[in-house]
Amino acid sequence: MTNKVCVIGAGSTRYGKLDENIIEIALAASKDAIDSAGIAPKDIQAGYISNVFGVSDKQVHMAPVIMSNLGLPYVPGLTIESACGSGSIMFREAYANIAAGFYDCVLALGVEKITHTGTIQSTTLFSYCSDFFYEGGNGASFPGLFASIARSYIATYKANEEDLAHVAVKNHENGILNPKAHVRKEITVDDVLKSPVVASPLKLYDCCPFSDGASAVILCNEAFAKKSNRSYVEVIGSGRGASPAAVQGREDITTIPSTINAAKQAYKMAGITPKDVNFAEVHDCFTIAEIIDIEDLGFFQKGTAAHAVREGATRRNGEIPINPSGGLKSKGHPIGATGIGQVVEVFEQFTGKAGERTIKDAEIALTQNFGATGASAAVHIFKKVE
Amino acid sequence: MSSQVNHQQQIVSLREKFIMSANKGKILANRCSNCGHIMLGTIYYCEKCHDSQLEPVELEGTGKIVTYTIQAVAPEGFSDIGGSYAWIVFKIDNTVLKVSGILLGVKSPADLPLGSKVKVDGFDTKYGLRVQKLS
Repeated sequence: MTNKVCVIGAGSTRYGKLDENIIEIALAASKDAIDSAGIAPKDIQAGYISNVFGVSDKQVHMAPVIMSNLGLPYVPGLTIESACGSGSIMFREAYANIAAGFYDCVLALGVEKITHTGTIQSTTLFSYCSDFFYEGGNGASFPGLFASIARSYIATYKANEEDLAHVAVKNHENGILNPKAHVRKEITVDDVLKSPVVASPLKLYDCCPFSDGASAVILCNEAFAKKSNRSYVEVIGSGRGASPAAVQGREDITTIPSTINAAKQAYKMAGITPKDVNFAEVHDCFTIAEIIDIEDLGFFQKGTAAHAVREGATRRNGEIPINPSGGLKSKGHPIGATGIGQVVEVFEQFTGKAGERTIKDAEIALTQNFGATGASAAVHIFKKVE
Repeated sequence: MSSQVNHQQQIVSLREKFIMSANKGKILANRCSNCGHIMLGTIYYCEKCHDSQLEPVELEGTGKIVTYTIQAVAPEGFSDIGGSYAWIVFKIDNTVLKVSGILLGVKSPADLPLGSKVKVDGFDTKYGLRVQKLS
């Protein structure tokens, strides 16, 4: 790989319950990203699209439909699905194609529309992302799968449900400052503990919402980025990992091997260690996931993250701010878009667009996003370029 | 055409074999002939050394629960028993192998301490691998 890869523009719809059709949502975020980059649509040489449940809004073969409706019918598009990790895994493919020199500039867009299906059908659709023969087919929902991981973590490391609640409180505290977040509501530890049980030991406020939304970024090589005469962000590390698809296949249920392996690759490529990261956007589909992520990423020793979160180490002014956007928990989780939404947050943080959630003096950021219970994952590391 | 011989080979998939074992109260596993690794019988190549020479082994379907959940909202097909079953992961006795299944009739975590003993009770066409708690 010879070409440096940069992000020169980013855009996003609001996350939440949206009335528009999935294609309209996708187009709105794409236009935002193109405008943000200050490029002309003709500069885009390929479109990378991530989506999971398009079929529920009567649309598959998403990429060519989106490119055609953008007015780019002869620009090739590719749709990528990797459950909740679709966005970051698609980003990796877009990154690799720029790095390899196939393209100078591409659109990377994630989109999801799910809320119209209702809670039971959404729960069912998500269960198809599991190893269905062993998990969804035995009645496991995704809250249930993560609840089983939480029960194992709590038993192994003497953590408790209050520790998990601190993750939710912190992410809501950040999400209030994000105008595009799905759930902009301050909550307390008591609110979390008293919320209805969804899948024991997880309660409603331990769980991210089902969200609609789209996020897009413009990726290009360094020469293209320099010509733009705008602030931009350089991708300095990229890693991919895999884990046994079913929870039962993991030697240790309290860790996600795909994150560990993807992070190792990304740190090595970037030539940094976890201590050099100024903030991270991580995959907090459930509060327990954030606890495990920040250990697997090397920010905290195994078994210590729950205590660190309780002590405030992951707040915006803490030693390693985690999810300043509000994370999946508060910003929302339109699953095809989530991984790109994390990159949008990094771009906004590094280009002076994050407002009150800005992490002061940050120059290096990390994103981590996984599919299902961590069967697939990608980690990326970014550097601010003045 | 009654004299025509059907030369089509009857193929039984690994999953069908797993289900047949479960209906006898067993867990179908494979032992790698190269490295000795034991894995579930539905996996095609050795997870450790990737060898293709695997020897089927039927394990006793008994074990201890390593984790589980009880869900308030169940996926479609499970709504009629929502809130009254546990989705469990249990470790099969005398192995490091874990497998997941459904345990009906459980309403509260107080009823199901980690480490509880269970046994395979068959494979249900509606609910998958069914497990029963041993007293």
